[in-house]
Amino acid sequence: MDFTIRAATLEDCKDISRMILELAEYEKVLDQVKITQRDLEQDGFSKNPFFHGIIAEVPEHHKSGEGHTKVGYSLYFYSYSSFKGRAVYMEDLYVMPEFRGKGIGKALMSKVSQLGLAAGCTQMNFTVLDWNKSSLDFYLKQGCWDVTSDLGYHCMRCEGDALEQLAQGDL
Amino acid sequence: MANFILRKAEPQDVPDILRLIKELAKYEDMEDQVKLTEKDLLEDGFGNHPFYHCVVADVPAEHQKVEGYSVIGFAMYYFTYDPWIGKLLYLEDFYVMTEYRGFGIGSEILKTLSDTAVKNRCSSMHFIVAESNKASIDFYKRRGASDLSLQEGWRLFRIDKENLLKLSAEE
Repeated sequence: MDFTIRAATLEDCKDISRMILELAEYEKVLDQVKITQRDLEQDGFSKNPFFHGIIAEVPEHHKSGEGHTKVGYSLYFYSYSSFKGRAVYMEDLYVMPEFRGKGIGKALMSKVSQLGLAAGCTQMNFTVLDWNKSSLDFYLKQGCWDVTSDLGYHCMRCEGDALEQLAQGDL
Repeated sequence: MANFILRKAEPQDVPDILRLIKELAKYEDMEDQVKLTEKDLLEDGFGNHPFYHCVVADVPAEHQKVEGYSVIGFAMYYFTYDPWIGKLLYLEDFYVMTEYRGFGIGSEILKTLSDTAVKNRCSSMHFIVAESNKASIDFYKRRGASDLSLQEGWRLFRIDKENLLKLSAEE
């Protein structure tokens, strides 16, 4: 199937927002999405963007059942390893179910890798849910390795009240 | 010993930052994995588009326990993005020299970072900890951090340069 991979623009935020919700639903956590299309526009397309996006698009004659031609996306940003330096973090990778199995996911991931390498990054990091077997298998096939399993690293979070209390110095 | 100041790192702090990165790596038994040089740190942290930010803990001359060092702790962080909740602060490294522990310097660094997170409208502060590092896990849990790997099943994955190059070359 014909498809193109290109940098996301402000106009893509509507479809990115739609697909973020689809991905959240797939991960069974739809109620956790607080970000709006407007937030994405401000946070991704202003002078100092907090993330970058790429879109997978199909021609009009291959559009989805509901009429969408933007059928996949990836959101990424640059991070830093105190051991190795510049790194790229792939925050989201998603392809609409009816367009899977055609190499679109791999092409999106390949594009993020290219952009990361061009920016001087020596590694790409991302997280996967432990029950997501098809994604785990896909990533292991691309030569990724499980840092949580191999090195015992756990992802931690400090948010909401805990963050506020920490900022105020209460224990 | 109550006298220490926390301040934003400056270019001249780079040799101390690298020294502390290596000390932390040694504590994690990964000393040989640090490939970063002073030149990388200078370019990546103090150029036009910094990949990271740093705060350092500085002690005055009369309180120096270790000959010649006034910078005795640091934290390296950067801003990331979650398409569900928006801006986040990611804590990459956080370390206080052994001789200076137990004086509240670590707590004060964490308080400053949390404050930075809140002021920059970040919903959350994220970081990783090795599951074998019980002392650090307790330190963070006491301050309200939750373990996303345990609670939600998130696994950190990584793809290193060699496989990143292969992936980026795929059509």
